[in-house]
Amino acid sequence: MSGGLTYLVLIAGALLTLGPFVLSFMTAFKSPQQFASEPALNPPNPVTTVNFAKLFGGAYGFISPIAVTAQMVAVVLVGQLVFSIMAAYAFAKLTFRGRDGLFWLYLATLMIPQVVTVIPLYAMMSAAGLRNTFWALVLPFMFGSPYAVFLLREHFRSVPDDLIAAARIDGAGDWRILWQIVAPMSRGIIATLAIITVVSHWNNFMWPLIITTGRDWQVITVATANLQSQYNANWTLVMAATTVAMAPLLVIFAVFQRNIVNSISLTGFK
Amino acid sequence: MGPDAARPVVSGVCRSRSSRTRLAKVPPSYPVTATWRRRQGRLAALLLAPSLFGLTAFLLLPILIVIWLSLNHWDLLAPMRFVGLANWVDVLTDETFGNSMFRTVLFVASVIPLQTALGLFLAVLLSRGLPGSGLFRVIYVIPWICAPLALGVVWKWILAPYDGALNNLMGTSTEWLSSPELAMPAVAGVTIWSQVGYTTLFFLAGLSAIPAQVVEAAQLDGADAWQVFWRIKLPLLGPTMFFVLVTGVISAFQAFDQIYALTPNGGPQSTTDVIASRIYLEAFQGGFNLGRASAMALVLFAILVVITLLQQRFFARRVTYDLS
Repeated sequence: MSGGLTYLVLIAGALLTLGPFVLSFMTAFKSPQQFASEPALNPPNPVTTVNFAKLFGGAYGFISPIAVTAQMVAVVLVGQLVFSIMAAYAFAKLTFRGRDGLFWLYLATLMIPQVVTVIPLYAMMSAAGLRNTFWALVLPFMFGSPYAVFLLREHFRSVPDDLIAAARIDGAGDWRILWQIVAPMSRGIIATLAIITVVSHWNNFMWPLIITTGRDWQVITVATANLQSQYNANWTLVMAATTVAMAPLLVIFAVFQRNIVNSISLTGFK
Repeated sequence: MGPDAARPVVSGVCRSRSSRTRLAKVPPSYPVTATWRRRQGRLAALLLAPSLFGLTAFLLLPILIVIWLSLNHWDLLAPMRFVGLANWVDVLTDETFGNSMFRTVLFVASVIPLQTALGLFLAVLLSRGLPGSGLFRVIYVIPWICAPLALGVVWKWILAPYDGALNNLMGTSTEWLSSPELAMPAVAGVTIWSQVGYTTLFFLAGLSAIPAQVVEAAQLDGADAWQVFWRIKLPLLGPTMFFVLVTGVISAFQAFDQIYALTPNGGPQSTTDVIASRIYLEAFQGGFNLGRASAMALVLFAILVVITLLQQRFFARRVTYDLS
């Protein structure tokens, strides 16, 4: 295959990939009148923010889902990182009875899919009176993830034992060794995990859909789905909502794209 | 450097130091005394406590509860009632669930081969290292970073019959999402579109790990590009291919978000009523039959466990080619 033909295929792939994004962003900035009267490919003329104004204004109140989602992601992110780092250090650098068996248990839970746990989690949250609360959104995820523990352990193991021994001789305890030596030396993988956590929880849909009702604790994905089913024909408004739902992650992606792209294939994250 | 290589050095340092300073101040990084071992055990317990709590309460306990729920009748309103294996008999003989199994297999079987082949194809093109390849690589991953739900909603508009972008461009009014023949291909197509770039990345990493000497040796022996790909590169990609296929199949079996957005309530004539969507509808939308939904969830779980175990059997038989 010649270079020219290769480029042709690669460009076609890029257009197919980006097309739906460009079309939906253009629609989000069109007036409903232009949308109804002109072909979809026409750029917005004039560019209008009327859909976003409607979206964030009184009736649809899209500010709240963004705030709820951001809070949820923040709590899950901090909890998962701190608690996973702690567990990974124990598995990588401490010797205790039952360590390998326990680690095997952590690995085994990787097999448990979310769709299997949502029904019992729903039952548990109902029994605890936590249905439709902020805690129901974050509790199942904030105590660390077996996957993060697994990845971090691999990296912590590569921190030389001599270095840790040297820190001990200098009087550092394990807590300090963990946060001042081992964790900073694994900055790269911790950053990757942070991005993974933000992406997967910003995008999470099934659990928030099930455990929340009404507007109070609605997250961005659920709000977008509801808006779409209520205002099916109002596509300019709906595309404004999908734009808002995707924009934060696209900005993060634009900033960290090289790190993200390089780390995906290393970690196999999903 | 392995831990065993480090050990003699560390112990040497500790011993020489401990002769000068006091013994208690120089704990080496591996157990020597009973006190040290106890301290390590206590510390480990403290460090593991939060994640172990989360794991037990939100992953292991739910498995026990879902098994219990599958043996009960529960509609969220009346108190739970023990019904033995009734839900299981019901689910395993039920046409609705049979249809869901069939639709899921159809979905997996349409998505995985195309997604894998396209991902491999793009990876091979990108691995030629032409200028700009980095940019294409980044572009292809973009859909994968976005919420499947949001992408589903975007595509719902694109595929809409009258004011949708696709029909608008082609001057047609095809009912992509409400016709029983087209709904499944449409849903599978959107899934493939959003996953290809992600698959490409893995193949790209796998291709770049193939030593250049191996390819050069084959070329010296007169192999053309086609032969190099089929006889050298593809076999060496075994482990990558395997990882991509297994993780792809496992996630396709659980697909929900984009299908929910594109074709709610199981799609036209239940043609996109995949297992995850059936479980959701059965438990929380109209069905309110959590016992039956629990039995379905456990069937799905069993399928995924079997796939994972088969993967390990396969790995044990070594699909990798040792290059060392």
